[in-house]
Amino acid sequence: MHTTWNLIRTVTCLAALTILASSSVMADEAANAALEKELIAVLRSDGPAADKAIACKKLAIYGSSESVTDLAKLLSDPQLASWARIALEAIPGTEADAALRTASEPLEGRLLIGVLNSIGVRRDAGAVAVLKKRLEDQDADVASAAAVALGHIGNDEATQVLRSALVSVPASVRSAVAEGCVLCAERLHAGGKSADAVAIYDEVRKAEVPQPRILEATRGAILARQQDGIPMLLELFQSNDKAMFNIGLSTTREFPGNALDKLLPAEVARVTPGRGALLILAMADRKETVVVPAIVDAAANGSKPVKLAAIGALARVGDVSSLPTLLDAAVDPDAELAVAAKATLADLPGKEVDAKITSLLNGAKGKMYPLLLGLIGQRRIEATAALLKALDHSDKEVRTAALVSLGETVSLNDLSVLITQALTPKNNDDAEVAQQALKTACVRMPDREACASQLASALDRAAEPEKPMLLEILSDVGGEKALNTIGKVSKSKSAELQDVGSRLLGKWSSLDAAPVLLDLAKTGPAAQYRIRALRGYIGLARKFPMPEPQRVEMCQNALDISKLAEQKLVLDVLKIHPSLESLKLAVKVTQGVPELKDEGTQSVVAIAQKLGTKGPEVAELLSQSGIGRVKLEIIKAEYGSGTIQKDVTAVLQKQASEFQLVTLPKANYNDSFGDPAPNEVKQLKVQYRMDDKEGSATFAENALIILPMPK
Amino acid sequence: MSNALPRRQFLKSALSIGGTAVLAPTIIPSSALGLDGNVAPSERIVVGGIGIGNRGTYDLGCFLEQNDVRFAAVCDVKESRRVGVKKLADGKYGNQACEMHRDYRELLDRSDLDAVLIATGPNWHATMAMNAAKAGKDMYCEKPCTKNISQSLILKETMRRTGRVFQAGTQRRNLPHFAFACELARTGKLGKLKKVYAHPAGMQAMMSGWLPAFPEPDKEVIDWDLYLGPAAWRPFNPKLLDGFNFEKGGGLVGGGVLEWGSHCVDLCQWAVGDCLPPVEYNAPKDGELMARYENGVELIFREKGWIPLGSCPVRFEGETGWVEAGDSGKLVLSSPELLAGRTVAEVGGYPATFHVRDFLDCVKSRSQPKGNAEAACNAHIACHGANIALFLGRTVKFDNKTNAFVDDADANRLRSEAIREPWRL
Repeated sequence: MHTTWNLIRTVTCLAALTILASSSVMADEAANAALEKELIAVLRSDGPAADKAIACKKLAIYGSSESVTDLAKLLSDPQLASWARIALEAIPGTEADAALRTASEPLEGRLLIGVLNSIGVRRDAGAVAVLKKRLEDQDADVASAAAVALGHIGNDEATQVLRSALVSVPASVRSAVAEGCVLCAERLHAGGKSADAVAIYDEVRKAEVPQPRILEATRGAILARQQDGIPMLLELFQSNDKAMFNIGLSTTREFPGNALDKLLPAEVARVTPGRGALLILAMADRKETVVVPAIVDAAANGSKPVKLAAIGALARVGDVSSLPTLLDAAVDPDAELAVAAKATLADLPGKEVDAKITSLLNGAKGKMYPLLLGLIGQRRIEATAALLKALDHSDKEVRTAALVSLGETVSLNDLSVLITQALTPKNNDDAEVAQQALKTACVRMPDREACASQLASALDRAAEPEKPMLLEILSDVGGEKALNTIGKVSKSKSAELQDVGSRLLGKWSSLDAAPVLLDLAKTGPAAQYRIRALRGYIGLARKFPMPEPQRVEMCQNALDISKLAEQKLVLDVLKIHPSLESLKLAVKVTQGVPELKDEGTQSVVAIAQKLGTKGPEVAELLSQSGIGRVKLEIIKAEYGSGTIQKDVTAVLQKQASEFQLVTLPKANYNDSFGDPAPNEVKQLKVQYRMDDKEGSATFAENALIILPMPK
Repeated sequence: MSNALPRRQFLKSALSIGGTAVLAPTIIPSSALGLDGNVAPSERIVVGGIGIGNRGTYDLGCFLEQNDVRFAAVCDVKESRRVGVKKLADGKYGNQACEMHRDYRELLDRSDLDAVLIATGPNWHATMAMNAAKAGKDMYCEKPCTKNISQSLILKETMRRTGRVFQAGTQRRNLPHFAFACELARTGKLGKLKKVYAHPAGMQAMMSGWLPAFPEPDKEVIDWDLYLGPAAWRPFNPKLLDGFNFEKGGGLVGGGVLEWGSHCVDLCQWAVGDCLPPVEYNAPKDGELMARYENGVELIFREKGWIPLGSCPVRFEGETGWVEAGDSGKLVLSSPELLAGRTVAEVGGYPATFHVRDFLDCVKSRSQPKGNAEAACNAHIACHGANIALFLGRTVKFDNKTNAFVDDADANRLRSEAIREPWRL
């Protein structure tokens, strides 16, 4: 009982907190003060710890110096100290600082560590003496907490204490002292006192502390030295210690100015190929100052790992000056280099790159010619004339590259060129590529109606074998013209076009196909395609969001011309999209089609179960229809949560009738049964006998109670 | 299963003929990446896992399929999970080498580990990430990564100071369709950007609270004290063992705004160029919560009105175009011209494989992964700011220079929250 009460109180408090917060815009200081008084009273009471915890949480927002004394009293309570510090860290003013300092004196162990941590978070400059004393604590964890807190405070006094401690504290505390020193040094560097920062970083680097502290200090020492830190940074690249090399790489990315960039290329040559590749990546990440010719040179002349890294990096930092090297690499016999170079060439930034590629087309030979033609398409360069010229080339690879690029670049005005190539290619070998290129071009056309018009015109003049291909592309283009064209073809005299057209319409992915499909389903020339169209129509009703009355109307339209198989599909749609309207239609189908009695009943029950909030109307509808009429006996029913259960057998027995649906006397479970476990998630468990078979079912709170037929 | 799409298959798809890849791979020497399948021990990344439950097991699978990873240790406060993960790892390697730890500090003390996978409940993420960084480990940290604004800022600074590689579990940044959508917005292809939309899937503020006491299990079975970690103390109650939801947002357990926002707001942040977080957050109105960036772009959290593209949808609207994308792997564009000839690989089911690979590559190169600390920090601050507006029920204004709300004592007090002793950030 006590724990349940606690829970209720907690939930109530949380709700109140939210409400208070919501109205805080109008709350004046007096209201806050009154609330604070209430919360202080909770802290002073003999009430449960849970209440005091939540009061602390509220005081983090609404507390003032008035709360500090009572909060500080909780700092020695292992259960509530952490809650009290939530408030004490947040309450502004010197009172909270003083209270934390004072509270620290008698404490030890974890509770003391918590208070020292809070002092650090508040950066209480007045606590340096307190923390200095704790640096000498026998408990290394306490001393470490004091050291880091001093680091957060970071004033001159705290800094001096930490620098002295770095050589005097035991090894177990030294890491934390070094952490504090690094914090202080960072603050000094940010404040313009870089020389002081360097001194501290160097002290940490020389101290016997764990390597992570050395790495942090090394990074800081380089950055604080500013340009004078470059030699120290370059030295890291020669280190045998991988961690040192790594901190060099990350520090390289942070280092300001452009002097470093001029020195890094020489470093690439001084290290192993693997390290050189990583250095190239770091160089390229310095986007503002990177020396691009150095990356280009690495791409041309480096070891293979360096070349690969440099080629990849040029995609981010390269320019037109990178082009010759990348083009050479793209036709390199080494496939790995060639693939990398082609990827970079596609992304290499700059309009100048486009112009250069276009100009290189004239006179290009061998492997370079199809490479350049491919780049025209990949980079979407306007060069239709050059591409058309390439279609006359004797090399299929050249023609293929030109066609692919035409697909990527041709405009609506020139689309007829590709249509011609797709229908009557100069070389029969090119038909497939041309058709794919036409499709690529058509689906990217911004004016799809105009595009569809050109395709429709082509359809009229195309030979019969080519028409399915054009219809497929029309389907990919979509839109009104495409839809109507395919709809018309589907009712033509050609059996093949009827087949293709009805298939494409059947998988149409927008709702505007509904009337076309319904028309085809009603008046199509062949039975199998009428069914295909009808299924497509039902599929639209199933897949697309629309107002429920519209969906039910579509279902009714479909039912009007459906046979059994499609009627089942319609029932499925109704089940997936439950509404009162869909329920009524499902009832109608169930009552009107004897062969669908079982499946219909299942659908009706499934829809009804999903309409929990509309229980009374559903119940009345089911009652009127007689669907789900059974012989029912309630054996046992329990309502509750976990081990707290209430026997509600009598209530359900009274309500049970001759239907699978059991209606309750009141609007919800709690009002009908009483609430056995407030604020808990509850379930209703029912054991019953239906048509002489025993079954059981469990219902989430307030779910509609429809007992399934036992198997 | 789409989640298991092999990396090479993805790259092949992304590099398909006829269009420029949306995600060109970072070119790193194969010897460093171990693409040949024979990775020298010196090139392996030795990984430990902390808090490997449902999500963590999925993440772990992504690590285990990488040839250059050696998973060597697991830590969990629950014995059953420790044993289960050890069995999984040992089964993969055919040995008994995976060591088990109850206390993550033991795991972080190990000098043989290069990186850790942090997949505890969100209560621990920030504290553990910062402790891992101070222990010299790189980390893949599940989201939400922080419980409040202060933690977000400290996380960013700690990663910078320690030089660690941090990858938030925001794996959608490494999926081609989301990347492409963000690129369209970021590079002006939609015209001047006006609005970015995120789907919070439940805007509410709530807390884990203090539930009735139950008998505390043996420490070896479930270490309750370590489970609570930085969260304020409360008695053991098995309902609180749902680490996924426990103390997610600390003082303001952030419902969907933080849970989903750490993904979809993160994408919105990417779309606006990973700029600093919004400067104004309004209370929800008609199911929408509007925040505003300094440049006037609106970040809108909305529950309804999405094109059905799966969970975690985002939408970016500019003056001349828009794009919408979701977890189905599909995107919808205002005009096909926006594709500009590019092929966008359709990868549905938000797999983390590519994100894990990105992390591992950066562990080697020391570059910044897609879900780096700064990006994650900014996205999380946007979520926390929205939550504070939601909690207070009114507009709050944020100053990115001072990292404080403007003339708003109540909001400022919600920026941080003390953590339980002996933990510190």
